[in-house]
Amino acid sequence: MITLSHVTYTYPDQARPALADFSVTIPQGEFVLVVGPSGAGKSTFLRSLNGLAPHFYGGRWAGSIEVGGRNPVDLAPRGMADLVGFVFQDPEAQFVVDTVEDELAFAMENFALPPATMRKRIEEVLDQMGIAELRQRRISTLSGGEKQRVAIAAVLALQPEILVLDEPTSQLDPQAAEDVLLALRQLNEDQGLTIVLSEHRLERVAQYADHMLYMPALGAAPVLDEPRKIMAQLPFVPPLVDLGRTLGWDPLPLTIKEGRPFARRLGPQLAARISGKTGEHSVAAGLPGGTGPETGGGALPAPVLSTRDLHYAYHGHRAVRGISLDIRQGEFVTLMGRNGSGKSTLLKAFVGLLKPDDGQVMVAGLDTRRVDVDAIIQHAGYVPQHPASLLFSETLAAELAFTRKSHGMPPDPEGDIALLARLGLAELRDRDPRDLSGGEQQRAALAAILVAEPQIIFLDEPTRGLDYMQKRSLVELLLGMKREGRTVVMATHDVELAAACADRVVLLGEGQIVVDGPAREVMSDSQVFASQINKLFRDPHYLVVTDVLDALGQA
Amino acid sequence: MTAEETFHPGAWTAWLVAAALPALSTRNPLYLSLILVAVGITYIALGQRNPTARSWSAFVRVGAFFWLLTIPFSMLTSHHGTIVLFSLPRSWPIIGGAITLEALLYGLTGGLALVALLLVFAAFNVAVDQARLLRMTPGFIYQAGVVTSIAVAFVPQMVATWQAIREAQQVRGHKFRGIRDLLPLILPLLVTALERAMQLAESMEARGFGGQVLQATPRQRLAHQLALLDGLGLVGLGLAVNGFLPHFKVIGSIQLVCGLALMLWSFWDVGRRSKRTRYRRWPWGRMDRVVLVLGLLGAAAWGVILLMQPEWLHYYPYEPYSPWPTFNPIIGAVLLLLALPGVLLRPTVEESEVSAAT
Repeated sequence: MITLSHVTYTYPDQARPALADFSVTIPQGEFVLVVGPSGAGKSTFLRSLNGLAPHFYGGRWAGSIEVGGRNPVDLAPRGMADLVGFVFQDPEAQFVVDTVEDELAFAMENFALPPATMRKRIEEVLDQMGIAELRQRRISTLSGGEKQRVAIAAVLALQPEILVLDEPTSQLDPQAAEDVLLALRQLNEDQGLTIVLSEHRLERVAQYADHMLYMPALGAAPVLDEPRKIMAQLPFVPPLVDLGRTLGWDPLPLTIKEGRPFARRLGPQLAARISGKTGEHSVAAGLPGGTGPETGGGALPAPVLSTRDLHYAYHGHRAVRGISLDIRQGEFVTLMGRNGSGKSTLLKAFVGLLKPDDGQVMVAGLDTRRVDVDAIIQHAGYVPQHPASLLFSETLAAELAFTRKSHGMPPDPEGDIALLARLGLAELRDRDPRDLSGGEQQRAALAAILVAEPQIIFLDEPTRGLDYMQKRSLVELLLGMKREGRTVVMATHDVELAAACADRVVLLGEGQIVVDGPAREVMSDSQVFASQINKLFRDPHYLVVTDVLDALGQA
Repeated sequence: MTAEETFHPGAWTAWLVAAALPALSTRNPLYLSLILVAVGITYIALGQRNPTARSWSAFVRVGAFFWLLTIPFSMLTSHHGTIVLFSLPRSWPIIGGAITLEALLYGLTGGLALVALLLVFAAFNVAVDQARLLRMTPGFIYQAGVVTSIAVAFVPQMVATWQAIREAQQVRGHKFRGIRDLLPLILPLLVTALERAMQLAESMEARGFGGQVLQATPRQRLAHQLALLDGLGLVGLGLAVNGFLPHFKVIGSIQLVCGLALMLWSFWDVGRRSKRTRYRRWPWGRMDRVVLVLGLLGAAAWGVILLMQPEWLHYYPYEPYSPWPTFNPIIGAVLLLLALPGVLLRPTVEESEVSAAT
């Protein structure tokens, strides 16, 4: 049982409270999903449950809190650790020692449990999380999904009654995320563990939750209710719910299974529309959204990027094995695939950061083996996974000026302002980039690259930690770049993002191309990488909500 | 690899002492070569059991590099000795003068000692999992052990981050021309490192780290703080006396010992009050005991020789000593003890292979 009543908490040196007059009661044994836009206080709420807020951060705390009969404000996190297990967002940053078994023992050693008990509990949690075969492994050699399961096992070893997870799947590929969530569901069902979890990608989690806690904005009163009722009032929702709300489906479907009956009823209507629209054309030719140059007919433009039998290995690990790919001017290509399937390596090879061990990469007519990165970046820009690795200046404006200077371009403050405005960053131009929120930093990094006006843009996982609203503005931005005729190559786990922007999807596995084709074909032919709408209709005509609405003439 | 197949770190620590001690205390090329042979045998035996043992070649290369460096350095700068190989013009600064066989031998043996020491550590590295070694730290310096193991896990992460930052800035057109250009690299690294450290601290706190400390009474706390301070002072004083007043060495040594004892007591006192347990002490296998006994035996024998007959180990190519090394069979036998674990290791593997096959 978790009770917060009239809690107001302000981080040190902040004017506004992160939680203001916050009251909520969560019954025992619930699976609660915490949702809300970035900056609404989700993380702060989660951290109050074991006392990290206020103990770790300091700041001002008022109001009362009780978690499982204890008061985290009095006991501090170390006094709560055997009651509340906490799993963090970044699978890399939460491990203390370097082998799995020692990591599992760490918390129990802190609680001075007898070695015999530790032995038994370690065996138990290894089985619970299905990671027995990892016990002797170095943590650095694990995949993201494995790391998150080890992190969960490490807190389970103390046999807590409550498990709190702060966006545990945001950095995982769809399948790994599914594995983690299923394991959590099982803990909740079999062992009665209370689970409180925050997540931006509702399409992944909504189906597992008993209740959702909606935190609409900083300081606004939270709403705890059934997922269906919360989903009906959220401003931004997963595509399935979006479609259901637009078409007035009742009860609102949260899972594909719940949505299928509605989709079936819609079926004849849609079929009539399509056959009317496409007429004598074949189905493939009638696929909408073929704005890419490949459907333009006539001579194809020459590729701006092409690789021939590309190979690359890190310390003997063959990350890319024999990739041949042609990407044409104006194409929007998404690279998808498991964590470690070679997406990031491929992007780095494209921009010349990695020189191929074997084979060839030609970017804008330049052979990456023959020329410097400096020559390539006159044509191509690369936004890394962590925007923080790019940003260093005191202000956003200075950040853009630096890129201009490094590219030998004249300073152009007005152009900078126009670019920032397009990215929705105009008011932030004099702010320190490091103080910005995750979504703002992502856009700031993008601005720092776009200012050089690259014709080809490489993006590595641009939606990490973005909420729906930020993601939507990113999608618009990317589509805008595509309309300007730029070529975009993006690596992502985010199926819905790919469905919304990409012309073409390249699916990688073990450093090789598994499938390469138009987004519609690839994404409707896959179990893991199909979008929600596509899973619903099982038809390559429908990838995103607007496809369906267009077909119904409702857009 | 299961736990049974790895070794107890304690056993190999004894072997490390037994092998490193000779490498540190003699320059006799014959003995040093024997150490190399023993270490080589051990390494080969270990490498067959542990296929991840790939650090060896790096150690060998580093060793060879230093060796090749010490020889010309000694030859070109020493100019002492009677057996002149050739001469460089005296007018050349530093390197001008006679180039002697003694200088060559001196460089050769000095480099060899270095190589031997390096390879001893390389073999130890293969035998023992460093993470386990860290976790053997005794209770009173547990905190230090945790800090070190965090650092060990943290450093590769930071190297990866540094790499990512360099790549990101390079693609942005950043060029390295001078100190000022470090800023775009250092600042993101610092920020990222700080964020990581904060997150790690949060994670440790959330798992009860440092939690179960019994409160000390003010008197107890004062006592151990005083002990620590006095201990430090005594150690400093002892070192100073030994360094500057050689006639009062006995007094200096007493001060040193007392200071160390006080410090140890204060650490122990702190450790006693922090309640914690250890997960699974590793079992001592048959082979572990053999290695331990051999290691202790070797180290003890070498200690006795070092104390009683230090002239047996002496080697100095210059006058009045002979450039030709002596050889004492007793020392040879002691050194060969080091190879015994390696020789004995092989049957164990075959045994386990046989049992796995059946």
